Amino acid sequence: MKRSLLFTLFAVLFTSFAWAQQDVTGVVTDTRDNSPLSGVSVFVKGTRSGTTTGQDGRFRISVPNNSILVFSFTGFTEKEVAVSGNSLNVSLAIAQTNLQEVVITGYTTQNKRQYTGSVAKIAGSEVNLQPIGSFEQLLQGKAPGVLIQSQSGQPGSAASVTIRGKGSVLGGTQPLYIVDGIQITGADFQSINPADIETYSILKDAVATSQYGSRGANGVIVVTTKRGKNAKTVLNYDYQYGVQQLPESQLVLMNSKEKLDYELYYDRPGGANGFGWSQADYDSLSKVNPDWEEAMFRKAKTQQHILSATGGNDKTRFFISGSIFTQEGLVKTTNLNRYTGRVNLDHTAGNFKVGISATIGFSKTSGTFENDNVITTPLNAYRWTLPYITPYLPDGSYNLTDPGGNPNPLPDLFLNTNLNKQIKAIGVISLEYRIPFVKGLNVRTQWGTDFTDDQNENYTDINTQANQVVPGLSGAFNAGSLRRVRTTGTTSINYEKKSGDHSFGIGLFNELIKRSTVTNGYTGFGLIGPIKNAAGITPGTPTNNFIPLVAGGETEEAIISYFAIGNYDYKNKYFVNLTARRDGSSRLAEGKKFVNYGGLGFGWAVTSENFMANQKLFDNLKFKVSYGSAGNAEIGDSYEALEQFGPSSYNGIGGLRLVNLKKDELTWETRSTLNAGVDFTVLKDRLSGSVEVYNSITNGLYLNRLLSSTNGVGSIVTNMGKLRNQGVEIFLSYDLIKNKDLTVNINGNWTGNKSEMLELDGNDEIVNGISINRIGERANSAYLVRYAGVDPDNGDALYYKADGKTITNVYDPADAAIVGSFDPKGFGGFGATVTYKSFELSALFTYQYGFDIFNQARVDVENPQYWFSNLNRNNLREWQHPGDITDIPSPFNDFQATTTRFLEKGDFLRLRNIIVSYSLPNSIISKWKMGSLKIFAQGQNLYTWHSFQGYDPEVFTGVLAGAHYPALKAITIGVSLGL
Amino acid sequence: MKSTVKYIMALIVAGSLFSSCKKAIDLDPTHTINGDDFFETVDEYDFVLTGTYQRLKQNGLYGGVNGGSLFLSAVDIAADNFYNGPDNLGNLNTAFRWNYTADNPSVQAAWDDAYRVIQHTNLSVRGIDRFAATDRLKVNRIEGQARALRAFMHFELLRWWAADYDRNSTALGIAYVDKFDIEQMPARLTVKQTYDKIEADLKTARAMVSNTDKPIQSATSTAGTNRAYIDRLVCDAMLARMYLYANELDSAIKYASLVINARPLASQASFMDIWHDASTAEVIWSIKYQAAEPALAREIYQTAGDLISWEPVDDLLNLYDIGDIRFDAYWADVNGHLVLGKYSAKATALGNPDGVTDFKILRTGEMYLIRSEAYARKTGMGAQALADLNALRSVRGAVTGSETGTALLTAIQTERRKELMMEGHRFFDLKRTTRTVNRTQSCNSFCTLLPANRAWAFPVPQTEMLANRNMEQNPGY
Repeated sequence: MKRSLLFTLFAVLFTSFAWAQQDVTGVVTDTRDNSPLSGVSVFVKGTRSGTTTGQDGRFRISVPNNSILVFSFTGFTEKEVAVSGNSLNVSLAIAQTNLQEVVITGYTTQNKRQYTGSVAKIAGSEVNLQPIGSFEQLLQGKAPGVLIQSQSGQPGSAASVTIRGKGSVLGGTQPLYIVDGIQITGADFQSINPADIETYSILKDAVATSQYGSRGANGVIVVTTKRGKNAKTVLNYDYQYGVQQLPESQLVLMNSKEKLDYELYYDRPGGANGFGWSQADYDSLSKVNPDWEEAMFRKAKTQQHILSATGGNDKTRFFISGSIFTQEGLVKTTNLNRYTGRVNLDHTAGNFKVGISATIGFSKTSGTFENDNVITTPLNAYRWTLPYITPYLPDGSYNLTDPGGNPNPLPDLFLNTNLNKQIKAIGVISLEYRIPFVKGLNVRTQWGTDFTDDQNENYTDINTQANQVVPGLSGAFNAGSLRRVRTTGTTSINYEKKSGDHSFGIGLFNELIKRSTVTNGYTGFGLIGPIKNAAGITPGTPTNNFIPLVAGGETEEAIISYFAIGNYDYKNKYFVNLTARRDGSSRLAEGKKFVNYGGLGFGWAVTSENFMANQKLFDNLKFKVSYGSAGNAEIGDSYEALEQFGPSSYNGIGGLRLVNLKKDELTWETRSTLNAGVDFTVLKDRLSGSVEVYNSITNGLYLNRLLSSTNGVGSIVTNMGKLRNQGVEIFLSYDLIKNKDLTVNINGNWTGNKSEMLELDGNDEIVNGISINRIGERANSAYLVRYAGVDPDNGDALYYKADGKTITNVYDPADAAIVGSFDPKGFGGFGATVTYKSFELSALFTYQYGFDIFNQARVDVENPQYWFSNLNRNNLREWQHPGDITDIPSPFNDFQATTTRFLEKGDFLRLRNIIVSYSLPNSIISKWKMGSLKIFAQGQNLYTWHSFQGYDPEVFTGVLAGAHYPALKAITIGVSLGL
Repeated sequence: MKSTVKYIMALIVAGSLFSSCKKAIDLDPTHTINGDDFFETVDEYDFVLTGTYQRLKQNGLYGGVNGGSLFLSAVDIAADNFYNGPDNLGNLNTAFRWNYTADNPSVQAAWDDAYRVIQHTNLSVRGIDRFAATDRLKVNRIEGQARALRAFMHFELLRWWAADYDRNSTALGIAYVDKFDIEQMPARLTVKQTYDKIEADLKTARAMVSNTDKPIQSATSTAGTNRAYIDRLVCDAMLARMYLYANELDSAIKYASLVINARPLASQASFMDIWHDASTAEVIWSIKYQAAEPALAREIYQTAGDLISWEPVDDLLNLYDIGDIRFDAYWADVNGHLVLGKYSAKATALGNPDGVTDFKILRTGEMYLIRSEAYARKTGMGAQALADLNALRSVRGAVTGSETGTALLTAIQTERRKELMMEGHRFFDLKRTTRTVNRTQSCNSFCTLLPANRAWAFPVPQTEMLANRNMEQNPGY
């Protein structure tokens, strides 16, 4: 009794101080895949007592009643959970707050806090559910400064990626792609499984890109693939099924009645009613309105299976995966089938660490021609054919009776084949040795190969339009192969030291990159037998013209580099990054092969200063500034600096012809970038963001210097210009609501970029067709004669003279003026994520604005000379009689295409992605003996707001040539299962 | 001790992995020839000369499908021989409508492609003088052909770009480029200066190809494969044509005679074979096309798909007398349409389906007409003129005549129209004679081209005007 009283007293006492102890056990997992996280620190809030999770993610801790546990792990968002009961399962999410991330540059990995450059990072898990075959397209709208334009919806097609404005006019503008430390060929990703990707890091400023020296000027996209974890093995299976459909075109052609009216009742050179239709023809044909889109396109299906396993112990870790992806294209017969496999292994043995990552992908793509204005291209022909001509005759055969001679697209689509089979293998092996008696010193060497084998097969059937230009007119079979091997070897000595308030690291590197490309191909003719492939080729004779064509080539290139990468910080408040690199390239002129690059960055974590200790506004505030340079030599062919003669023949005798001019002065383009930025989080970490400004100048800009064509060549590539890109990037993320069951986050980014041509080697301007580079203006400005409407008196097209005021009916190319720009002034994305209990809904909008598109596809259906094909509905407004007020000139007036009449605004806003998912609660899945189960549904490109007269304004060259294979609208459902 | 060994080993390994070889980036092409390592022997120039001939087949010149062929099809389309056919996709409409502008891509292609041949002629002789002493005869063979080609392409350019052809005209001729140097910005010479250069080059070429290390080709063989190259006979024919344009009548007569005497007109029996490439009777120079190269005049009539883009006017068809063998050789009846058969004969007659045919660019038939016209223009030589004209007429199976004076000159032009249809002459013949085009059939608002019209000459391409500050635009553009 006495004891119980004492006990009670103690109990009351302890309770009142909340000191009653209890044991809590649980598992900490990763929200992305529910894999256990080991090494997570778990401690009671307000105390220092805590533990860490074990290999299986489990922890056990003794805590006072009603306490709050804090779970913290590098790279993940810290989580606080109130204790209730004895068991507690917690899942941690990857940190969304910029300042806690790790920055991966490919050669180094650093805490984002300490890094002074500009690197955008996107977790693979954020984007990889989208049903797209080529991974770079997944990044659209996700990162400031990164413009991603995907013109084509053809399965496996690549997008154009521009980082911080095009720094080159003639040279390559696409970034460098690094996967697991080695360079891989850009725009060639159809055989890579996006779901294997752990992170995308986009290197934008010079302190980051100068690490890649001569290849870094266009920015670098560093991709790391998933590695094994020191944790219990987790098996994952993902399945997706999707349906895609055609967006609506805003370029509306005439229907049958309109077209017949146009033919019969509109006067034109050659007279009306060119086909001589009778009234009876008119009556019957005007009722025929076949659905050509139905004949060409389909609702296309996508399916994906991914199986992966990851796990390991403290010595060896692994990640393996396999996937099957099949995607039908919207255009019938087009598709992509992809099979991939991957093994990533890491092993530590004493002071040695070895790593292997190996992936092999096989893809088979069946394509159709796009982005041209060739009449036999089915994507043109189905629009140009007369609207009252049906695709098929009543007996089911192809209708070839178009009186205008417009080809029926269907034979070419269905009978011809256009196949690509690609094998892609990327293998990287690394060996690291920590030198045991000098602390912080290690040597590392890494060798990797990007191997691509492309086999193309084109079969041309004898019954198609394409056959009409085939020698022998009896079908053709073309096979081409390309084998490319790029080997990257990097060896480094790295040293790290921390002493008191100072810590620094330095790496000395040597790198050799060799690329060899071998191409072979043949075209055989006379496919007259039943075998419709290589075996069906008929041998040539002097009369049948079935003489096969054979071609082959091989090129080699190499870059050799020496460089150093260093970092220093003082008191974890002041940071310095430094890069110095020397590169030599085989491509450039003798004596101009080597060049030096460098970058220097400073960072200042202001919130770590004492004077900030008492302010409440900023949770984190960091300023950074960097300056440096990177280069570009993506110009011409592998031997661009040499005068080259290629094969040629006449009268059966082999000869040589000039194929490349000598360029003794050819050297690198060098892009120097000044970057300044601020990263912050405020409002108790609810609002985070960053603002960066940059000013980059490309020196030695490659341009086509015009030459008098009397010399047999109209221009020569010359390092002659100076181009500036200036821009601002803003990224904001705000947690509107953040409580136990409900979180609402909104985020957005915006980039404004302005280019300006600064020097042109003494010239004021260089014109290239409908684009111009003029000093003081944006690069690649649109350069056209300004259209001034139609003279009501005679139907003549009117144009502005060069002065911009005088109006004339004489078209003179010398009156052209700068009328717009082909590159967007601004772009970005915004979206929201709502999670409620186990539901998640997120939406992403992307936008681009301030650019123009020359609509060649519209030119080809507004030229009244083509009255025998279908035309734009606009042509019904054609000027016919004096006094007609219209915007479409008389068909008797000389048609001129290169005027602003066909220049259109490309601005658009797109609902890029919307996804809703549900993760089944642990209570259910544990009964089912599963680790996790998530189901989701998503919509891709569901709606696009734009005014462009076509399917879609996402056109990256500034010109829509025709045969547009538009980006698709897709609905996908899927399930993700973890064991 | 053990760790020191390890340390040293690690350094050795690391050091060996630091490749430091600058040689790694000294790479030479294997599938193309580096010009700096070439031209070491005179024989190597031969390969480049062969490449020069191949350049004659660029789209902008004679054979081109889409809007090309400015020196062949466009020359007849811009004149009065054809009208829009049912399958015309707009190709060559610019030439038909005479509305070429300085940014017209076809006009630019013709200019660029012609000068690209000239570039290659200059590359074919770049530094060849080094071998002049030791290999004179080889040098003669290569340089002679290159010079003749260079002169001929300049003459082609002159035909389109000069507003008039008078031998002593001080009007704008063309820029004459006789060395390879991409930085040149040549100005246009006068017409007279251009003729001077062409004449000098052709005469030098003639002398050179007359004295070579080995024969260039047979002067007499009529095998279908013959006459691919330029020898003395070709130089003579080129000179004859040039002298006719220049109105240097005695010289025209002299050189036309040399050709006529060396290579007589084809017999009626072999005339058809010329168009099948089965014979080179009366062919002086023929640009050889191979399978898979563009079929000539496909933009007029294409056998594949039976596409009639341009149809001959009745005026022209009616000129051929009954029994004129040219009618069947030049025209084909396809489903009731008379279409151009000159370049599809090989397709229809020999079952060679795509009809890739050689371009018979110089023939003895033309030489007769040159000599006849030259005689007719001289005073008191009408009889000789008529004799030549009738000689040609009778060999072709046409009715002979007895014209004199103006009627004779007209008859010669008519005969040229019939004989040389679609061989790159009609528009230029009108330009140098009546300077008027009168179309009579389906010509809509494009029926007459008057002497003052700017369209008699092409505009200098806009790119050239931008690139070459010494270039002058033609009047009216």
